[in-house]
Amino acid sequence: MSHVGGTPVLREPAYQVSPQAIGFWTVSALIGDVLLVLGAVLAWLVVPGAPGWVGLLVLLLALVAVAHVVLMPRIRFRVHRWEVTDTAVHTREGWIGRQTRIAPISRVQTVDSRQGALQRLFGLASITVTTASAAGPITVDCLDAETARHVVARLTAITATTEDDAT
Amino acid sequence: MIPAPGSPGEGWSRLSPRKLLLDPVKAIGQAIVPVVIALVGISQSDTRFWPFIFPVVVVAPLVFGALPWLTTHYRLTDSQIQVRSGVLNKTTSTAPLDRVRSVDLEASLLHRVLGLQKVQVGTGVDDDRITLDALALADAQALRTTLLRRREAEQPAAAPVLPAEDGAPAPAVVPTPPPSPTLLARIDWSWLRFAPFSLARLVLLAGAVGVVAQFGDDLPIWNEETATSAWAWITQFAIALVALVLAVGGLALWLVVSVAGYVVQWWGFRLVREHGSLHLTSGLFTTRSITVEEAKVRGVELVDPLLMRLVGGAELSTLATGVEDGVTQVLPPCPRAVAIGVGESVLDQPGPLTEPLVEHGPRAHRRAWFRQLGNAVDVTVVAGVAWWLLDFSGLWVLGVALAALLLAAVAGEASYRHLGHALHERHLVAGSGTLARVRTVLETDGIIGWVVSQSWWQRRIGLADLTATTAAGAERVLVRDVRVDVAVALADRATPGLLTDFLEPA
Repeated sequence: MSHVGGTPVLREPAYQVSPQAIGFWTVSALIGDVLLVLGAVLAWLVVPGAPGWVGLLVLLLALVAVAHVVLMPRIRFRVHRWEVTDTAVHTREGWIGRQTRIAPISRVQTVDSRQGALQRLFGLASITVTTASAAGPITVDCLDAETARHVVARLTAITATTEDDAT
Repeated sequence: MIPAPGSPGEGWSRLSPRKLLLDPVKAIGQAIVPVVIALVGISQSDTRFWPFIFPVVVVAPLVFGALPWLTTHYRLTDSQIQVRSGVLNKTTSTAPLDRVRSVDLEASLLHRVLGLQKVQVGTGVDDDRITLDALALADAQALRTTLLRRREAEQPAAAPVLPAEDGAPAPAVVPTPPPSPTLLARIDWSWLRFAPFSLARLVLLAGAVGVVAQFGDDLPIWNEETATSAWAWITQFAIALVALVLAVGGLALWLVVSVAGYVVQWWGFRLVREHGSLHLTSGLFTTRSITVEEAKVRGVELVDPLLMRLVGGAELSTLATGVEDGVTQVLPPCPRAVAIGVGESVLDQPGPLTEPLVEHGPRAHRRAWFRQLGNAVDVTVVAGVAWWLLDFSGLWVLGVALAALLLAAVAGEASYRHLGHALHERHLVAGSGTLARVRTVLETDGIIGWVVSQSWWQRRIGLADLTATTAAGAERVLVRDVRVDVAVALADRATPGLLTDFLEPA
């Protein structure tokens, strides 16, 4: 974030996600990108009489895919951070853009944790905290599964004590 | 209403018996097309089946129409409203009375002829409403008054609110006299001047034209021969004249449709404040009655649509939580001053709707332009691809590109002029809109989270989109292209304490 003037700025959330996330993101990106590039190559081979520059486009696509698979997980690992205090949940995510989300725990309605098949291989889990707003769900992607369990337990304990209908 | 024999438990009431007239008519209306097709098909092949077909056709709608009345019961207990319905799958909907947030009455033309009202009870859950279709007018109004007054009073020792044997839900249960309703606005027929400038109905008109065009093939005058001779006849005149006539005709049609639509929708419009709720009634044929609990109103949205601004008109909606669609239009297109007056009355505070907004500065200005120019480039690329594939004159592409650029310049400048934000004591104010000017006012108490989002472009120049999340209205209020430090300061001031843990001095 850029800091201008003397007003307080938002600091980054305290904790990084699990380093295993890099592997997980790499594999997921690899699966998607390989399919995409294969599709493009097949289409290029099958369609007869395609001009030469189409082949160049396919090559470019392949290069972009490689860059995506190599760079995206590392950038994302640097960006993704999270923090849960007694009063609020604070996360940052993104790799090209940035999204910072803050929600007061007093307004949290549900706490879900989710572990996909691929995530299980890497020992990861994601947590989603929802509020009464459709615009407000906060997801902490790719926490270490053990940490995720602790955080869910803690959040559930805190939210159980608030009695508001959270709107 | 007499509780049906065999109806379980105490105090269950049926819907109005006149529903027995309402539903078969509706059922026949829905079944008429397949039935007629079936009848035509059968009558052409064989007439022997008539004695079997006829009862089915007539009796089935009657039976199916009567089923809902036979199977639907409702009652008020001292803490809940309960509705049981269903033939095979029995469903029971219950809502705690203290969770009742809105009671809306609606009556179609058929309902009104029969003196019936459809009652919809909104509770905390967004899309779950308890519907009673239909009650006698007096019962419906008594039920509404009881539900709303109860919620407002919240007396702990309220007597059980059971519907009396004669069907009127115990009007004497609540001893407190109703506070006199305050009239916030009523229809003023000079507002009709705004009707032609409201383009929302244009969509309907386009639909109608489409329908007519479909039937056009079947019209006797429209076979190919008459068309050709008519065309020959037309071409004798100047094309300009034809275009003029078409334009004038279209304009006249639009005038009639828009004014008629306005009258039909807003006939007898009244907006009153009673029982701690805003209560809107209107409609010439179908009368609507919408209730929004004021405690659930978290803000308002004032919209000056593009054309209506030329004549000083505006529309006002409330942003509420816990109703089906959180954005409720509470005023017809009307003079801006009226909309602001009602808005301030709803907000209980003058200022947020009229105060100037903080501008977002030259970088946001540039961003607004580039955003629209990006759209123009997209349009031009599409036109270019179409030109490449379809091989028509390149002049068209040039024309499209120029038009898109011009439009982008206008839209970019306009969207920056509409951009802005303010924090007014208890309210967050956001200005937005590309061609229409939109001002969204949200109570800071209604903010349940923040999202600071930056695209790659915005990161280059230190801007961000600040979103206040809320349960009300569209569930988000967006302050676009604001400087990051301004965004953080704004969020910090709007919800004191929430960000404190995460702030550090610059």
